[in-house]
Parts: sequence; C-alpha cells; structure tokens
Amino acid sequence: MNDIILNVTPSVFGVIAYILISIGYWNIFKKCGVKPYLSFIPIVREYNISLCADKEEDGKNYIILAMIYYVLEVLYTVFKDNVKIVLFLFIFLISAAIALFIYHLRINLGLIKVFGRSKKWIWAFIFCETITVLIFGLSKNFVPTKKVDIVPDKYGVKGLDQDINSIDDGLTVNISEKTSYFYFKKKTLLKDIHMNIKKGHMVLLLGGSGAGKTTFLNAITGYEKAKANITLGDIDVYKDYGKMIYDVGFVPQQDLVRGNDTVTLTLADAAALRLPSNIPLKERSERIDKVLDQFGLTVVKHNLVDKLSGGQKKRVSIAMEFISDPTLFILDEPDSGLDGVVARSLFQKLRAIADEGKIVIVITHTPDRVVDLFDDVIVLIKDKTRTGRLAFYGPVKESYEFFDENTMEGILRKINPKDVGGDGRGEEFVEKYAELMKGKVG
Amino acid sequence: MFLFQNDWKVLPISAVIAGLVAFSVGQNLFKTMEGTLMGSFAVACICVWNGFFNSIQVICRERAIVKRDHRSGLHISSYMVAHMIYQAVLCVVQSGIIIFVFMRMNVKMPDKSLITDWPLVDIGITLFLITYCADMLALLISAVARTTTSAMTIMPFILIVQLLFSGSFFSLPEQAMPFTNLTATKWGLTALCAQGDYNSLPMVSVWNNALKMKNVEINNEKPLLDLFKYVENNNMRDDILMMTAKENQIEDYAFSREVIYNAWKWLIMWTIIYVFVATLLLEFIDKDNR
Repeated sequence: MNDIILNVTPSVFGVIAYILISIGYWNIFKKCGVKPYLSFIPIVREYNISLCADKEEDGKNYIILAMIYYVLEVLYTVFKDNVKIVLFLFIFLISAAIALFIYHLRINLGLIKVFGRSKKWIWAFIFCETITVLIFGLSKNFVPTKKVDIVPDKYGVKGLDQDINSIDDGLTVNISEKTSYFYFKKKTLLKDIHMNIKKGHMVLLLGGSGAGKTTFLNAITGYEKAKANITLGDIDVYKDYGKMIYDVGFVPQQDLVRGNDTVTLTLADAAALRLPSNIPLKERSERIDKVLDQFGLTVVKHNLVDKLSGGQKKRVSIAMEFISDPTLFILDEPDSGLDGVVARSLFQKLRAIADEGKIVIVITHTPDRVVDLFDDVIVLIKDKTRTGRLAFYGPVKESYEFFDENTMEGILRKINPKDVGGDGRGEEFVEKYAELMKGKVG
Repeated sequence: MFLFQNDWKVLPISAVIAGLVAFSVGQNLFKTMEGTLMGSFAVACICVWNGFFNSIQVICRERAIVKRDHRSGLHISSYMVAHMIYQAVLCVVQSGIIIFVFMRMNVKMPDKSLITDWPLVDIGITLFLITYCADMLALLISAVARTTTSAMTIMPFILIVQLLFSGSFFSLPEQAMPFTNLTATKWGLTALCAQGDYNSLPMVSVWNNALKMKNVEINNEKPLLDLFKYVENNNMRDDILMMTAKENQIEDYAFSREVIYNAWKWLIMWTIIYVFVATLLLEFIDKDNR
C-alpha cells in the first residue's frame, strides 16, 4: 500500500503543480493580450510565454528542443530494458534538458523584464516556479509594460479585392494573399495587390521596413508562391516556373559573389548556370564579352572580384543576373554603399536596360537622387495586422499628387508607422487607392 | 586548380603532420603489434584531421551564394558532385604525401599486398578512403552549420567522437562497441592493421614489462634475471615474443582480403550516407531564413 502511495504521490503533485502554473499563466496571458486557454497546452504555452516575454526567437528554439526532448523521453521509456539504446539516448536527453533549462531561464528573464521587475526574481522562478507564476498572474501590482501586438486579419483595411485583367506586353500581378504558417500561427504577409507593369518600364518599389517588399518580389518571381495569378506576357509565372527561372533576374542586396574568382570566371559560371546548355561555347563567350562591355567591366575582367571597388562589385553582381537577358529584372537596393555619382551611373545603366523593352523593378532607400529615371512607383505599407498592402501603383508624377508630397522621402514619411518616426497614414492611402482603382476597373 | 584559391595550404600542412607522426610513432609501425596499433591509429587520425580541415568551411562560408545560385537554377546535386570531385583530388594528393613522407623518414611500410600487386597502393587506397570519408562528414557539417564559426565549434566534438570510438585504441565498455561502427577511424585502423599483417607481428610489451622486474629478489635469488639470461643465451627471445603475440592476435585484423574489403565497404558506405544527407539538407536551402 505504501509503495502505491509513494508511486502515485509525485504524479498527483505534478498534476496539481501543472494546473496551478497554468492558472498563473492564464492570468499572465490575459494581462499580455494572449489567448488565456493556451496556458493549458504544453509547448504551445511556452511559445506564448516567449511572446509575452518579448523573446520569440528563444520561444521558437524552446519548442523545437521540447519536441525533441519529448520524443527522446518516449524512446527512453520504450527501450528502457536495452542498456545500449538507453545509454545512447541518455547523452542526448541530458543535452536537450540542459538546453531547455537555459532557454526557459532566458524566457523567464524576458518576462521579468516585461513586468518591470528586478532580475533577482529569476531565483524565484528557478526554485519556486508555481508560486512565482501565480504571483505574476494574480497580483494586481504585476502589470506588463508591453502587450503582445496581435490584431486579427479581419481588422485589416479593405482593398481592391478583385483581380485585374492581364496584359500581353508586360507583367500582371494579382496577389490575393500570401500567407505562411509560423509556429502555430497563420501569418498574412501580403494581401490584395493588383497591378499591370508594362515592358520598358522602370519601377521603383517603395516601402518602409517590414512592408513586405522582398516577399512581394519573391511572390511575383514565383520563388515563394502566393495565392496569386502572375503572368508575364502570356506565360503563367507559377505554372511555368521551370522556364521562367531563366527569364527573371534577381539581384540581391549583398554582393553574393565569390571573391577568389576573376570577373570573367564569375560571369562564365553565371552563364553556365543561367543560359541554356545547348548554346554554343562561342555564343556564350560573346554574350559574356557583351555584358562585360555593357557594365563597363572589360578593363577589370581579369581582376579578382575581391580586388574590385564597391561599385564594380555591384556591377558584377548585376551582370551575373543580366547574362541570361531576362525580361523581368529585379534589384534589391543596388545602390547601398555607393556614393551619389556612382549610384546615378548605375541607375542610368538600369534605365538603358529598361529602354531595351525589359521590366526593371528596383528597391532603393535613397530614391530622390534618381527618381527622374523611373517611370512608375509601387508603394507598399504595413497595416495594423502587420500585412503588406498596396498603397499606390502608378506613374511617379501621379504619386506626388496622390500623396500630396513632392519627394519620395516625403511619401515614405507619410506612410511609415508612427513608431518608426512616420505619420502612420498608410492605411488611409490603401483605402484611397482601392477606391481609385475601383473607379478604373469597375 | 589552386589558381586563385588558398586551398593548396592543406597540402604542406598534411606533410608536416605526417612528418610529426612518423617521427613520434613511426619507429615501430608495422614492426610490432603495439607499434602497429598505435601507429595505425595515429595515421587514421592524420587522415581524419586532413579530411576535416579540407572541407569544414567550404559550404557554410558561401551559403548565401549557394542560395542565390540555387534560385538561379543551380542543381544542388551538381554543386555537391563538384565539391566531391575537387575534394577527392585533394584527398588523393594528401594520401600520396603521407606515404611519401613516411618513406622518406624510413618508416617501414608493408611489403605484402592483398588487393593490388603493390602494397603501397593498397595502403594508399585505405588512406584515401579514410580521408575522403572524414572529408565528406566535414562537408555535411558545413552544409548544416550556419556560419564558419559554428562549423569550427562542432568540428572538435565530432573529432573527439571519431578518436574515442575508434574501437581498439581506447578500451570501451561492451555496450559502447556498436557505436564504433559509426567512425572512419575504426575501419581505417582495421584496414591498416590488416594490411600491416598485425597478427604476424611480435608483441613486445609483455617482455618489456617483465624485463623491468628482472632484479626482483626471492629468497636472495633473482629468478627472473636468471630466466632472461637463459632465454638470451639460447636465442629464444624472438620465439617468446611471437608466443605472446600469438596469444594476443585479433581476428578482426587478420591478413585477408575479406577484412580489407569489409573495412573499405564501411568507409564507402559512410561516405555515401554523408554526401546524401548533405545534398538532401541543401535542397531545402531556399526555406532557410538564416
């Protein structure tokens, strides 16, 4: 009988402690703006504590480790009679337990900070977690300084909400939604973006940090598919992604080029990757020479990439993508780190590419020094649900009238959220633009 | 091949390491059982070390470039095969360097062959397979690691596992023995000992330890000293060394084709597994938000 009591007692205590801790977190979650019932679901609870503690990264690591730990524990129980397996599992189990403990501490430290308490409270969390969590949850003196900012998607502003007709001589974008599942949460990254971009146009992509510029570019190139219809001429970008991969050039912000290769070798590698394999060597070589000449790299073609200046490196990076003569050419901040003169010269080259009948889309954070070279501007904003929305697409001149500003930086200031120094009027323009578009498309 | 790259530096480094090992443990390699075990272990360690250093940083240092190239149509399998070919050349050259250094430093090499007609080629293949297996393991680590720093942090841990679980040099509990199959050092050590005909070599440690006790007195007499004098006077020392060796033969190190083929098979199998896993992981590089 005594044996039974001894065996049962710890588990009863365990259950009681779990319920008490869950009650404590129920109240903490209520205070922080998280759904309280999640406090009763293991692992999900820990992730949401990390949200309250403003330690989301640690929370993600914690849940991955916790899942590994539970799997190991199950295996440990299943194979408890097999000494070899138990020994093997034990090493990993101990390692996972140590890592879990560290992440748990870090999350608790974050929680203490959010509640504006002394770091000494961590000892209370370590030695008496149940009571400490109950104090944090039930005491009215314990109030978080920061709430979890979750606004459901249904509270987002209304947009155009209908597809536009595709055009034969350009890019048609009809993105209904781009979502991703992010640790138990569905997150809408982009919503309701529709536009036609004609060939020969050079387009500026404007938007504050987190407005979804890169996600938008990835969606229109098919790299990260969205719930969307994207056509380039009569080709469906998503359905024919295998073919389109060579007709789209994407130049990343960083110069991702091997420094120990010469410029010619770098372009030769790029040509081998991006040009069809049945192209004769002579033709390939001619194409490399042409691109070298077009980007003013002929004089440095035998130099190592590492030895080039910032502007030259950037031109090599662009030339690598341009080698396949893509119809859609996208550049993410090609002028970062370049002075005004070099940047302008680079943008003039891009203008020349657009004039050849290509579509060039460029993200830049210093648009005003080169704005005269652009035809159109796309303005993306982050709404209160943290979703990227289209606030404007059209000619540069019209954008000034639409936003009642005379510089691109002025527009940016108007649409940026208040917490980053903007006027926080982005959503107002999303609705205004939707109305404008409804009038046009009917 | 090394026109603009600095990878050639691993070649002189492997020569220096081989020289140090030849100097410290080469004297009794392939001459006595103990010398062969210790020397083969050291040689396997050089190979693992060389393999690790060849490729531990090659993928992680250009991860962002691989991601960009993959977006532009690069096939990960082609990328991996390119690395495999390049690393194979490095490993062949390094194996050649080790043999060359050992020979120049008068380390006795096996004079009987099992697979080819040339004993040195047999040894060379084993050295290559150990180095290449470790090289591909390091390539896998490089494919997993976020940065060169994290790759270099993981490396010593894996290296320790490789050395500790070599199976023969360190005494491990019976339960831990299955894990030795996971290491390149175990199969490398096995192949090298077998190729050096470990079981036909004399064992000297029993004799040497007994010799240390030659002056022990029992009833004012020195029976061990008398015994040693008797053995020496009758030229029986080598017979005794061989007799003690006979009692300590290891079946796994038998001088046979099967043992060599088995060891090579394991090394090739692990190499293929490492390459396969690394390729599989890199296929998901687009999902990587690091």
